Amino acid sequence: MSFLTIEDVTYSYRGKNPVLHNVNWGMNKGEFHCLIGKSGCGKTTLLKLAAGLLQTDKGRIHLEGSEVVKPSPDCGFVFQSPTLLEWKTVMDNVLLPISLKRKLTEEDRTQALELLELVGLASFSDRYPLQLSGGQQSRAAIVRALVQRPSLLFMDEPFAALDAITRDELQDDLLRMCRRYNMTVLFITHDISEAVYLADAVGVMAEGEMVYQSKVELERPRRMEMRYDSYFNELCYRLRQVMGGNQS
Amino acid sequence: MNKMPLFSFLLLVLLLGIWEMAAGTMSELVLPAPSVIGSALWEGMVSGYFTPHIIRTASEVLLGLLFGGGLGFVIGILMGEVTFLRKLLSPYIIASQAVPKLALAPLFILWFGFGMTSKVVITALVCFFPLLENTITAIRSSDKQKQELFRMLGASRLQTLVHLKIPAGLPGILAGLRVSVVLAVVGAVVGEFIGGSQGLGTLIIASQGMMDTPLMFAAIILLTGMGIILYLVISLFEKRWTIPYKKEN
Repeated sequence: MSFLTIEDVTYSYRGKNPVLHNVNWGMNKGEFHCLIGKSGCGKTTLLKLAAGLLQTDKGRIHLEGSEVVKPSPDCGFVFQSPTLLEWKTVMDNVLLPISLKRKLTEEDRTQALELLELVGLASFSDRYPLQLSGGQQSRAAIVRALVQRPSLLFMDEPFAALDAITRDELQDDLLRMCRRYNMTVLFITHDISEAVYLADAVGVMAEGEMVYQSKVELERPRRMEMRYDSYFNELCYRLRQVMGGNQS
Repeated sequence: MNKMPLFSFLLLVLLLGIWEMAAGTMSELVLPAPSVIGSALWEGMVSGYFTPHIIRTASEVLLGLLFGGGLGFVIGILMGEVTFLRKLLSPYIIASQAVPKLALAPLFILWFGFGMTSKVVITALVCFFPLLENTITAIRSSDKQKQELFRMLGASRLQTLVHLKIPAGLPGILAGLRVSVVLAVVGAVVGEFIGGSQGLGTLIIASQGMMDTPLMFAAIILLTGMGIILYLVISLFEKRWTIPYKKEN
């Protein structure tokens, strides 16, 4: 039985044409899956359904055997924009998930600081988000999603607005943290090489359907050189062809 | 070096000089010279003649702001949060926006008498709308992804309001308050024009009756000063709130 299962999910916004048709997907614990597709293919919608932010019209989504009907406290979500609260310091932003539930303890702070240390933000903990660079903001957002040690992390194109070098660094940071905490991640992107570099399995979506899926047989930990070897590029090319659809 | 404040000050000196010269050619009843107004203002302040009037007007303005602004803020939050309430009330809000509020002043004097109550009610009414409108807009325009973040974190509606919507909307809400503050002084003075025994507005009407134009100018200057002080207090608060996170960007 897989960790997260998506079965025959169909969804439409306000009864219009369905955005998703009978989508199926499954992931095991500790896996990193990427979904790619052009904008408007329904990938973000699928992610929000899986996270419980939206309700399916038809079909079921199960997380560890129980049906997802509302956001679970055991899941983290990283959005396209960093969504940090500008009036709180980096530390307070990172601690937000905890402070909404209970009083903060000294232990929470030490733990948050440790996480910030992992992404090189420890010395920025009392800065405000707008004083950070785009990459640092994204890092802080990831740390905030991780502070509750979620078993499942949803990420919606979190690196889309960053430059290529920063994006590479962040991908490595993310993979390191996932290994450390044995996290399961469902990651959405439109960047094929990002998907291949990060994932154990890649799914391609087009017009609301899952049209292709592939395992990524690269060893872990992933290294920078892997981005340039032939297997990596072949896989990217194959995925590109699938995504190109009939037009190419 | 930033010399603009100095230039602004020099312009003031120049304008006052022109005024002083122009006033020399006219009757004091029409246009008193700045020096005459200055001495009237000084004498009034030193002798304590202005003190009760200042206190009276200031308390009307502050009470009006407190009630009108407070109510505008609270109802604004409710209408921003509860769609049913917003749809129910918005036609009335639009209609009442169109009513010239100051034209109701005589009615309020009739209802609440010549004392302070009627002026506080007028001031509150004038302050109410800018804050209401800005609060509704601010509450409703908070970032959708941040709202989803709060849902994801399992935050209650109240938590989302307190930790996200109000702080995120505070710049807009404070902009409404700045408008309210300036209008509050107008509201209080108009209320006093129509009837009252104390206050700077009453003083202006009285000085008109006594043909004491320098006194009238002195009262106007005091009112301007009051408006400026209130405005600065709000701006200061705005800076306090926004500067720490906008600086060093």
